Amino acid sequence: MKTYDVVIVGSGAAGGTLAAHLARAGVDVAVVEGGPKINTRADFNTHAMPWEFANRQIPRMKPGKEGMGSERARGLGGKSLTWNAVAWRQSHRDFKGKSIEDAGEDWPIDYPDLAPYYEKIEREVGVCGNYDGLKDLPDGVFLPPIPYKCSDQLIDKGARKLGLKTIHVRKATLSRPKFGRPACHFCGNCMAGCDVVAKYNSYDVHMVPALRTGKLELVPNSVVREVVVNSDNKVTGVKFLNRETKAEGEVSGRVVVISCACVQSVGLLQMSKSRLYPAGLANSSGHLGKHFIPHFTGGVEAFLHGLKGTTLKDDEGFLDHAYLPSFMHERKRDYARSFGAQFGYQNRRGVGWAREIEGMGAGYKQAVKDRYPAFVIFSPYGEMIPNPKSFIDLDYQKRDEFGLPSARRQVVWGGNDRKIFADMQRWSTEILKAAGADILRVYDEPRTNHELGGARMGSDPKTSIVNAQCQTHDVKNLYVVDGSVFPSASEKNPTHTIMALAARVADNIADRLEKGEL
Amino acid sequence: MSERRTSLKIIGTIGATCAFPFAADELYAQQEHTHTEGVTAQLPEPKYFSNADFSLIAKVAELIIPTTDTPGAIAAGVPAYIDFVVSRSEPQKKLFAAGLTWLKKHDISVLDKLCEAVDKGEVKTTEQRWFKAMKSLTADGYWTSKIGMSQTLGYKGAAMLAEYPECREH
Repeated sequence: MKTYDVVIVGSGAAGGTLAAHLARAGVDVAVVEGGPKINTRADFNTHAMPWEFANRQIPRMKPGKEGMGSERARGLGGKSLTWNAVAWRQSHRDFKGKSIEDAGEDWPIDYPDLAPYYEKIEREVGVCGNYDGLKDLPDGVFLPPIPYKCSDQLIDKGARKLGLKTIHVRKATLSRPKFGRPACHFCGNCMAGCDVVAKYNSYDVHMVPALRTGKLELVPNSVVREVVVNSDNKVTGVKFLNRETKAEGEVSGRVVVISCACVQSVGLLQMSKSRLYPAGLANSSGHLGKHFIPHFTGGVEAFLHGLKGTTLKDDEGFLDHAYLPSFMHERKRDYARSFGAQFGYQNRRGVGWAREIEGMGAGYKQAVKDRYPAFVIFSPYGEMIPNPKSFIDLDYQKRDEFGLPSARRQVVWGGNDRKIFADMQRWSTEILKAAGADILRVYDEPRTNHELGGARMGSDPKTSIVNAQCQTHDVKNLYVVDGSVFPSASEKNPTHTIMALAARVADNIADRLEKGEL
Repeated sequence: MSERRTSLKIIGTIGATCAFPFAADELYAQQEHTHTEGVTAQLPEPKYFSNADFSLIAKVAELIIPTTDTPGAIAAGVPAYIDFVVSRSEPQKKLFAAGLTWLKKHDISVLDKLCEAVDKGEVKTTEQRWFKAMKSLTADGYWTSKIGMSQTLGYKGAAMLAEYPECREH
C-alpha cells in the first residue's frame, strides 16, 4: 500500500485549499472524502422553481444525485459547493479579543501572520469587493464590486440616518471572467450549487487544477471512522468504510490532516480512541470538543416602503450585495465583542411570509403582490463567547448508517451572547425603520450558523488542541485545519480565514517534510 | 402591520442560512420530481379527500385567493397541493376533518369573521386552527405555483444577466 506524504480527511474549503497548495509544492497528497464526486454544473437543482415539485420544496440535488445530506456535506467540494462565498479578512481585534477586552480567547497568531495568505487566496480564487479602507475589515486584492440592490440603497440611507455606513459585500464570486471561469450571471442561487463555477468551490477551483501536478489523488466515497495512532505516538493514516459497500479500507500517510468541518472533525478525533488516547485523539488536555462557539444570527423580516407596489425587477443578483460592518466594537456598550449584518440574502423563491399577510380575497392577493418586491430579511451575526455548557460530543445512542456515533452539538447561550443578540436585533429593527419599513417579524431566539471551535488553537497544550500551525500539541504529525481550531469566532464569516489558514499550514507542512521533521 | 414574534418558516426557498446549509432538513427530505399541478380551472381527481370535501376546499381556497386580473387558487392547482400535503400528515388529516365538518354546518360567509379572528391572533377553537392551516396552505400553494409566482407576482425566475442592473431610483 502506498504511503502518501499527507492524507487529508475532507475536501471542502480547508481540505481542498490544503490539497492544492501541497500538491503544487511537490508533496504527495491523498484527499479522503466521504461522499461522491459532485458535478456542480449538472447535479444541483440550481435554477429549479418550487412549482416543479409536488411539495413545492426544491431538493438540493437532482434525482439520483447523492452527496449533500441533511447532517453533513458529503461530496468532493464539501460545503464550499453551497457556500454563499462571503469572504472577509479578520482583523487584529478578531485575533486578540481577550487582550483587548478580556473576553473570549486570543489566537496565538495575529493579522500580519495571515495577511499574506489571505492575499494568496484572493489572487487564486478571485474575490470581488470594494476598497473601503476600514481598520476592522482589512482590504485585500479585489475584483470590482457588484452594484447595490435597490433595497441595499434604501437600507444604506436608513443606516446613514443613524450614523452608520454599509459597504459592498466581498465574495469569492467572480464579477469579471477570470481564471477560465465565467463571471456571475446573477441568478440568485449561490447556495444551491453554482452551475458555472463563477462562485468558488474547492473541487473545481482548487483540486481539479491541482490534479494536473500528478501529486494529488482523490479518494471519494470513503467515510473515515478512525485516525490511527501507533505506539510511537505518531499517526499512520486513516481507516474508512466505503460509502456504498461499507467495505473497510485504509490510507497511509506520513502526515494526517483533519479537515471535515468543525463538528465532524471534532467527532472524528473523539471517535479515534486508543490506548494512548482513551478520551479521543489529541485530547490529553481534555479540551477536545469544548469551546464550541458557532456564530449566532438574529433576523428581522420587513417590507421596505420604497419598494412596495413597484414593478418587480430581476434583482436577485448573487444574493446579498451589501454588508453592515461591525460598529459596536468602537462604542460604549454593556457587553464584549460585536456583531455585523448581512441583508437581503434571501432569493425570491421564498414566499413563506405571504401566510402572515392579513385578510383574504382580492385585497389579500393584492397586498402580497405589493409587498413581494419589498420583502427583505436583515440578518445580523454575533460572536459567541465560549462557555462550559456549549460543546461537541458523541451520541453513541444515535448511530449513522455506518454504525458510527453522531457528533452532537450542545449550545447554551451565555449572558454576553444574549446581550449582543438583544442589541443586534434592536439595531436591525432601528435601521429598517429608519430606511422606511413595516416590520413583519423579529426573530426572538438566536440560531446557530458558521460552526466554530471544539479543537481550538492555542499556545498552552493544557487548554488547547492545536498550536499556531494547526499541529496538534499531542501528536506531531497530526494537524486539524478548519473552523474547529478557531479560539474565538469574530462576527465575520469564517471561510476566508479557514482558507488562509489552510494555505499557511500547507507551507508549514511542505517545509517540515522537506526538512525531515515530520 | 403589527410586529409578530413567531418562529421562522420559509417555504420554497433554498437555504435561509449562509454557510451552514442544513438548517431546514425538511426542505430537502423529499425527492419527488413531479409535475402534478393543474393550470386550468378544472379540478383534478383528489388523491386523499372525498370529491365533496375536495370541492369545498377548492371553494374556500378560491375565496382566499380569487381570480382577479390573474388566475386564482383553483387555476393555480392549490386544491391538489392541499390534498397532497394533508394526505401526508395525520395531524392535518384530523384538523381538516374537524374543520370541514364545522364549515358544512355554517354558511360559507362565516369565513370572513373567522379570518378576522385569526388575523387578530385568535387561534384557539378548532375552526380557527383549521382556518389558519387552510390559509397557510393556500398561500404556500398559490405563491409557489407558476401562476402565483410568475403571473401574479411577476417573477420570471433565475434570470441570467450579463451585468447586474444598477438601481437608479433610490
